[in-house]
Amino acid sequence: MGHWGWLIAIYLFLGGLGAGAYLASFAAEKGLLGKKTNLDRVGYVVSAPIVAFGAFLLIFDLGQGLKKPWLIINMFLNFSSVMTWGIYILSAFICVAFIKAFFVWKKRQAPAVISYLGAILALATAAYTGMLLAVVEGIPFWNSYLMPVVFVVSALSTGLSLTSLIAHFFEKHQVHEVRVSQIHLGLVATEIVALAAFFALIYSGSQGTIAKISANMLLTESLSIPFWLLLIIIGLVGPLAFYLLQARSNKKALLTSNDQNSALNSERGGIVSLLCDGAVLVGGLTLRCLIIFAALPVWNGILS
Amino acid sequence: MSPNKRVALSRRNLIKGGLLLGTVAAIGIMPIKVLKAEETVKENTTAKTKKQIGFSYDEGKCIKCESCVRICQETYQWESDTPWRRLLKNDKGNALSMSCNHCADPACAKVCPVKAYSKRDSDGIVIHDASKCVGCGYCLYACPYHAPHIQKKTGAVSKCHFCYNLQDTGSGPRCVGVCPTKALTMGDMKELSQKGNLDYKGLPSSKITNPSMIIIPKA
Repeated sequence: MGHWGWLIAIYLFLGGLGAGAYLASFAAEKGLLGKKTNLDRVGYVVSAPIVAFGAFLLIFDLGQGLKKPWLIINMFLNFSSVMTWGIYILSAFICVAFIKAFFVWKKRQAPAVISYLGAILALATAAYTGMLLAVVEGIPFWNSYLMPVVFVVSALSTGLSLTSLIAHFFEKHQVHEVRVSQIHLGLVATEIVALAAFFALIYSGSQGTIAKISANMLLTESLSIPFWLLLIIIGLVGPLAFYLLQARSNKKALLTSNDQNSALNSERGGIVSLLCDGAVLVGGLTLRCLIIFAALPVWNGILS
Repeated sequence: MSPNKRVALSRRNLIKGGLLLGTVAAIGIMPIKVLKAEETVKENTTAKTKKQIGFSYDEGKCIKCESCVRICQETYQWESDTPWRRLLKNDKGNALSMSCNHCADPACAKVCPVKAYSKRDSDGIVIHDASKCVGCGYCLYACPYHAPHIQKKTGAVSKCHFCYNLQDTGSGPRCVGVCPTKALTMGDMKELSQKGNLDYKGLPSSKITNPSMIIIPKA
């Protein structure tokens, strides 16, 4: 057992990240992230390369497929395999996102059908990364319908963080919309709730004792340090506290309207905000790695 | 006026966000339900193939000589850490000779993206075509019995194929043929399933894949 390791975890992370970045820019373009947003371009531009790079990494995890790459084309064949679905979804998403990015880069308006198709495929890409694991009955820890939910929420959160980070360094006009913090607060809070529900479902016993042993590995045993430190504290609770404070301080700034003070605050807030976005990304990658590493087979191959 | 407006706006956002997340959750959950529904439909239709043959292991008759494992290795030359057949033992004296169970609902065939697995309609044997295999390892996670293994030399999966080539020429599988005490036998699952199942000593529930193998525990 345990053939999937770092490469698969990074691939699942990048798949969600690219899809999330596309959706972040899509949301910004539709005006959901505030009126003066600067997030409506960079997410589109980076999404296809990120997902394509993730898919490229996957090739190096193959056995015979690495030596005989022409066999890979057959991965479109089995419609009952979730991996085959993923190959279709990813290929379609990479194509559509590249087209959309081309329009954005040329500063032209892309046809609405391209933007919406890309958004649907982005959601499908993010959901697929969870589905791939969730349908495996041989690994009880993965075999949960909450798995794709956790992955999709994490994809949206990491995608928004990456888009904010890149916009900070590469977009000329800088804006800090309160709306972004509010949305991100909602995403991080939802991810915490989804993750809690995921573990609650496992400890309710509905997925058997093996799933509980996997969960114990994360909560109290061999993988507990990265779980609590990198995922929970750095990746979730830290950003949650920051976005909560920011949403509040913005409200206060509006009430007092002390310009000097709020300018100072927003600059300091800007740096912390970047750190926070970085922390969300660390948490997202840690989540994928931990889920892959905590996989235990339904039977360990030994007579009891 | 402005703070109140702010609050109203963020509440609307909350609803919008909630709707969005609900959609996302639905997208995540729906395919699983579809898959599960597909499975229950499959389970309800009893005969998946015209015939299903399987293994029977009588623990009381087994003398743990491992001839079944040895003849299999000699014939198919698999690497020792990627076995087609194993004799499982515990310290209480129990034993079980097991290979691929040629399941009625093979999880390996379902997840394999390149359709390297095929299930013969004539006898239900699950055959893996190594020439198609990309070595993605998905079937290794899917199979609850650890039957498929990736061979180090080729990077492709290989597993027991019930000596289908020998069976097609009229003789039986090597492991069954070599067993000195007739502990390991084969037969039609219609009859074998009357005598027992594979839910034994910590083995995974046979509901997952419907294995074509039964064990008759020693008294």
